[in-house]
Amino acid sequence: MDLTTIFQAVITGVLMAGIYALVAIGLTLIFGVVRIVNFAQGEFVMLGMYVTWWLWKAGGIDPYLSLLITMPVLFVFGVLVQRFLFRPILSAPDMAQIFLTVGLSVVLMNAALFFFTADFRSVKTTYSEWALRVAGITLSVPRIFAFAGALVLAGLLTLFLSKTDIGKALRAVAQDREVSMLLGIDPERMYLLAVGLGAALAGAAGGLIVPFFYVFPTVGVVFVLIAFVVVILGTLGSIQGALLASLIVGVAESLGILFAGADLGLVVVFAILVATLILKPSGLMGQA
Amino acid sequence: MKAAGSPEYYLPAGILLFLIVLPFLLPNPFYVHIVVMMAVFVVLGGAWNLIGGYGGQLSLGHAAFFGTGAYVSTLLVNAYGISPWITMWLGGLAALLLSLPVGIICFRLQGPYFAIATIGLAETLRLLVLHFRDITSGAQGLTVPFRGDAPWLLQFGSKIPYYYIALIMAVGVVLITRRMERARLGHYLVAIGQNQDAAEALGINSARAKARALALSAFVTGVAGVFYAQYTYVIHPDSVFGLGLSIQIALVAIVGGVGTTMGPVLGAVIMEFFIQSTQIIFAGQYPGLELMVYGGLLVAVILWRPRGVIPWFARLYQGLVARLPAAGGARA
Repeated sequence: MDLTTIFQAVITGVLMAGIYALVAIGLTLIFGVVRIVNFAQGEFVMLGMYVTWWLWKAGGIDPYLSLLITMPVLFVFGVLVQRFLFRPILSAPDMAQIFLTVGLSVVLMNAALFFFTADFRSVKTTYSEWALRVAGITLSVPRIFAFAGALVLAGLLTLFLSKTDIGKALRAVAQDREVSMLLGIDPERMYLLAVGLGAALAGAAGGLIVPFFYVFPTVGVVFVLIAFVVVILGTLGSIQGALLASLIVGVAESLGILFAGADLGLVVVFAILVATLILKPSGLMGQA
Repeated sequence: MKAAGSPEYYLPAGILLFLIVLPFLLPNPFYVHIVVMMAVFVVLGGAWNLIGGYGGQLSLGHAAFFGTGAYVSTLLVNAYGISPWITMWLGGLAALLLSLPVGIICFRLQGPYFAIATIGLAETLRLLVLHFRDITSGAQGLTVPFRGDAPWLLQFGSKIPYYYIALIMAVGVVLITRRMERARLGHYLVAIGQNQDAAEALGINSARAKARALALSAFVTGVAGVFYAQYTYVIHPDSVFGLGLSIQIALVAIVGGVGTTMGPVLGAVIMEFFIQSTQIIFAGQYPGLELMVYGGLLVAVILWRPRGVIPWFARLYQGLVARLPAAGGARA
């Protein structure tokens, strides 16, 4: 196997890492602020993909342009989920919380199956097949766009969290709920915001990959599993950690596909999970 | 002292007697199939409950143990012609061995790690079985060659013998649960569930207690997997290792009531009745609708009946016991 092929796999992994980072940041944001492990995060990605596909199919709207619709739609969806599903069980045991989100995931997945059938859908744009060739390596243009889009969104989120008052309030709630209340922050509103943002990021990830990724009802499962590995490797609740970990996971998956076979990429990702749990369960950004 | 004729004795005995004659009361094999599946899910929900309910460790990957039992047994039966009565224990043992590293790695940690790791385990096994098709025949699945009425090969011409085996397993799981509840391990798990730090301070090794409960749970689940493979004659990676099965197993315990002996029994009967009815009503015309209702049910139970149906049912049962007269003129 020549070096170019390996390099090609690494680049493909890096480009996909941007998407994994968006999904994982959404997951870790919800966990950090609301303390809920959202097993339905992958279905938020799936919803983003279907909204984008439907806008393209029915209205001929370009997938990138439709981010302006997909993200607000998913934001509102996330707010509703927090208000009506997460809020009543905030003080319930972990088991109840996890099962609620698993139930939500099953409902959404099968609602998609019911309304859109099991057919694989795709969006064909003029640029879907565009590619750049640099030194023997093929760079798919929509994958580059997806990566760039993910970086821009992750950057905007970081700015929002560090520079704005609302963003700082959000981080305060994540750090200490009681103290933030003493500072006059209403945690309930911050929860709504966190789940809304988390869903919007997942939806954006879905929208960004539609030009080169099939849309089908169970597409979210892979994303949520990878996002879990990313947030554990990158330390639960840490955004920087999620960015770094998504690079590692993306490249490892891509190399796994190259060396072990297309169907074993995910097995390599799980091997990373096992290694993390054995060697450093607190993750790359963890203290201990 | 309660007299032998009191309803507290004869009511459970009556229920057991009813279960023994049940297959002869059912009009056709389809109904026998439904009660066999109910019994299988009593076993699976009960096994899950040992670690999920009593151990408080949420497994979302019990299909890993079920599929391991099913595949190990079927491979051995097909390759060496070993009787499934023997491979049943080997399948359970394989599942138990598989559970050991999971327990060792995850139970040092507190948090959602175990739930995620178990999903990862089942998915990994599913992908590996799909990948190594030379051994496992991949997506095609494995078939148990049909030999007709061959009790030594755990094959029967009628569904009724399967029913009795499943019934024995289901009663066995209830007895195992009851025994564990009253044994030291059960008390440890309850103490850990109430306050892990306090339990550790008293010298309880919480990781070891949970790992033991998981090993027991995995063993029973593996045995059930072997039975399922023999009963249905065919296993597929997507069905025996699938996330859907893992969720269904946990759902049985949750709907019934986690951490109770009879919760998974009730949960299995209710869920299986529900699944079969929706299958008859919708007849597969609307793909996704059944599971949509299913997931909705899960959300509804968590929001409004977090303790499952068991408290409600226990009241009903106690009421019945109080109202029934003592048998044979004996006074309770």
